Amino acid sequence: MMDILNQLIGGFAVALQPMNLFWAFIGCALGTAVGVLPGIGPALTIALLLPVTAQVNPASAFIMFAGVLYGALYGGSTTSILLNTPGESGSVMTAIEGNRMARKGRGAAALATAAIGSFVAGTIGTLALTFLAPAIAELAFVFGPEDYFALMVLSFTSVAVVMGRSLVRGFAALFFGLALGTIGIDTQTGQTRMVFGMLELLDGVSFTVVLVALFAIGETLYVASRPASAPAAINPLSGGHWMTRQDWARSWKPWLRGSVIGFPIGALPAGGTEIPTFLSYALERRLSKHPEEFGHGAIEGVAGPEAANNAAAAGILVPLLTLGLPSTATAAVLLAAFQNYGLQPGPMLFATNPDLLWGLIASLYIGNLILLILNLPLVGIWVRLLLIPRHYIYGGIVVFALVGVWGLSTSWIDLALMCGLGLIGYVARVYDFPIAPVLIGLILGPQAEIQLRRALAVSQDDWSVLVGTPISASLLAIAALLLTLPPLLAWRRRRAGSAEVQPASAG
Amino acid sequence: MPGAEETQSRGRQSRPWWLGLALAIMGALWLNGARGISSTTNYIGLGPAAIVLAVGLGLTILGVLLILQALRGDFRAVDDEAEAPPSRSAFLLALAGVAVPLLTMRWLGFPLTAMLAFALVTHAFGSRRSALDLAIGFALGSTAWFGFSRLGISLGGFLPLIG
Amino acid sequence: MLKRLTMTSVLVFGLGVAAASADPAKVMIPANPGGGWDGAGRHTMAAFAQSKIFTDGASFTNKGGAAGTIGLAEFVRTAKGDDNALLVTGVIMVGGVITNKTPVSLADTTPLLRLTNEYNAIAVPANSPIKTPQDFIAALKADPSALSVGGGSAGGADHVMLALLAKQAGAPVSKINFVSFSGGEILAALGGGKIKAAISGASEFRQFAESGRIRIIAVSGPARVDGINAPTLKESGIPVEIGNWRGFVGAPGMSEGAKKLWLERFAKLHETPAWKETLKTQGWEDAYLPGDKFNAFLKEEEANWTSALKEVGILK
Repeated sequence: MMDILNQLIGGFAVALQPMNLFWAFIGCALGTAVGVLPGIGPALTIALLLPVTAQVNPASAFIMFAGVLYGALYGGSTTSILLNTPGESGSVMTAIEGNRMARKGRGAAALATAAIGSFVAGTIGTLALTFLAPAIAELAFVFGPEDYFALMVLSFTSVAVVMGRSLVRGFAALFFGLALGTIGIDTQTGQTRMVFGMLELLDGVSFTVVLVALFAIGETLYVASRPASAPAAINPLSGGHWMTRQDWARSWKPWLRGSVIGFPIGALPAGGTEIPTFLSYALERRLSKHPEEFGHGAIEGVAGPEAANNAAAAGILVPLLTLGLPSTATAAVLLAAFQNYGLQPGPMLFATNPDLLWGLIASLYIGNLILLILNLPLVGIWVRLLLIPRHYIYGGIVVFALVGVWGLSTSWIDLALMCGLGLIGYVARVYDFPIAPVLIGLILGPQAEIQLRRALAVSQDDWSVLVGTPISASLLAIAALLLTLPPLLAWRRRRAGSAEVQPASAG
Repeated sequence: MPGAEETQSRGRQSRPWWLGLALAIMGALWLNGARGISSTTNYIGLGPAAIVLAVGLGLTILGVLLILQALRGDFRAVDDEAEAPPSRSAFLLALAGVAVPLLTMRWLGFPLTAMLAFALVTHAFGSRRSALDLAIGFALGSTAWFGFSRLGISLGGFLPLIG
Repeated sequence: MLKRLTMTSVLVFGLGVAAASADPAKVMIPANPGGGWDGAGRHTMAAFAQSKIFTDGASFTNKGGAAGTIGLAEFVRTAKGDDNALLVTGVIMVGGVITNKTPVSLADTTPLLRLTNEYNAIAVPANSPIKTPQDFIAALKADPSALSVGGGSAGGADHVMLALLAKQAGAPVSKINFVSFSGGEILAALGGGKIKAAISGASEFRQFAESGRIRIIAVSGPARVDGINAPTLKESGIPVEIGNWRGFVGAPGMSEGAKKLWLERFAKLHETPAWKETLKTQGWEDAYLPGDKFNAFLKEEEANWTSALKEVGILK
């Protein structure tokens, strides 16, 4: 413990050098900017910055990369909240409540709870990374395919709370997402599925394209087509422009819970940053004292997922730094950066290059602080962006959507998909189909399928393996409870309720 | 009161049975696709076609349910905003803005395409200052193009027609 | 406007090269930024600049997808006759062209050379009873289905290597139990004993082997790999050699003169310390094979892969 503290202090000595502070600032600013743009995420940004490794010393470079990683998550929430167009997949759940808040003129409070929640979670995550990393990293070896499958099943239950008003339409959205997820080459067997003869579809439908199309394009078409109803949608500052006492009271628990969910899942090799946001949103909705506000701008629904995805980002660094194991695209690019310096992350690196690693960890604390300082004043500016004439905002959204979609692949098929899925996003809005289930299906469906088939391959088709480990059995049990308990309770309440009401109405 | 609203919206929304039909057709497409995926030599029971089959079945069933709902008239559509009368011309203009890149991206390049898309969308939202909108769109598009080029990503030629 | 355009393009493409007459290479990378092919393209061009062999700079286009075949198709379509257009290629693309049955193939380009290779390794959990390549073959022979072997995507080099090993063992290739993983998951699954063995790039296994979580039992190259204490398959009496090689091809219809010029540049590059340093930091084996020999090698690879992919059931 003392040892870690000493090394951390040494790390701060590295990270606080003016030059490194400068790089941290650049990274944070750049990360925030790319987070705001749909389609351009931290992985791509760091990959494009890789050439700087030829000129900059490793500590500075990694301090900058860490800033990009965290900054992207801060920035990703901004467009989700203000424009209902998530910049990253980890911000999808934020859009649900956050945008409702913005429409009610509570955008500043939503942005603030997202930024502060990100800071709280980022700091908790970094603390956990500092003190618990070796222990948490061992989780990677405990989790097998059946455990991941159970985790996916559990995450799927979060669909239940984003179903909207009609079960049929909610399931239709979910199955549409699942269907999109089946497109492409099946990695387990190399068979092509549902590609309709198009080479471009072999790697599947790009998640970014779906995200941009359903949210940004669908939203634009919808708002454009309903000129009479829209002005209410941009009302930057009605009803208080900062977090009220009540907002604080309702935010701090979701921040902490989001951090606790996000960090360990982020640390799993197949965890990622999306799953924790699904789980956190579902959890907050169940625990909230104001469940009726969900779907209409409940602040817990912003605070929880935003904290979860930031804590998960810290979690991603755990297997990377302690084991040299890249778990996400971003981590893989960071690994490439280490290799550019001839370094191999892992336990050896803590012994051979303590300055670099502890400098990097210390810079995470500093980066979080920089981002908070950078983002809180920005809240005011971002909200004022909504004062830009509406036609320029939406024109700009479409151009940025084009940048994201065309820049990823320069593929005509992707443009066509964007257009087609944008229309579907529009239809979904008009006929009140929820959009979140589409994305949950698209993200979780393929992962759940892969893990299930891996588990069955390893067990040679023995299905009992799915409940064969304590982890998988308990996760599945929780999922089963979540699915059966609420209807049961509701049924009992209805019975009890009707029993109580009847005498009253009779009297 | 809610009853009156319902009949009103039902009249205008004219029972969107076609949504269910579209979903069912998609389901059929997936079911048919599952037939075409060979089960390969992989011996485990759950092959690559299983999920496609399941999704196809699900979509078809949901499609049929949607059709039934629509025909029964209990497809209660839409929150208050949608009650506002939609503007077809604005919608078509915005859609044109989204679709125009399909035609122009390869021939006119990113900056000009962004310019057209931007101007079409701003006009959909009621702007009438065409020259200004085109200028802003072009500026946005070329800024993005140059920015990406500096980062080492090519968004295609600046003006592919000229080369 | 025009002036700004030219100024910026010099900035963009020249990357610090002052002379406006510079003729930069146009490098197509058939993968997204950050991956192996991206590294191969960018590090090679950086080494060119560093060793002053080719100082006109380079512009890169990343066009990923479908095992590089989308980038290949785009390259054949757009770069025809361009003496300065190069495409990064490799074994994955050879496999991709065959499995995806693409209308264009490497034969439509002007093959230049193979440059690097990363050989595969077989690894097992630290406490596995499988200790030698022979043990592995014996386990495959006894019950191929019971031996779950992790690797990259189905139809890739790892899968094909397992198929070749099964053939050597005399086990039915249709019964092998290949479990596809992506990224670092395979290391966690192997270290945790979730799978019985794994086949992947040798350098990926190295650190886990050093920390004692897994054991590397064989490498797939012609010679042992520095820092890995494991025999080659060949010296263990198993004639299987497979690696993830990468190289360059030129544009379709590249002129004879340009082809010669590029081959000379690569020959010079191959001798420089800058290149040797790049190989070392990236963990690549030197696999320099230029010109006609590379052409012959490509033909051989195509034939080998076609038959291997048929046997694992991916190609009908």
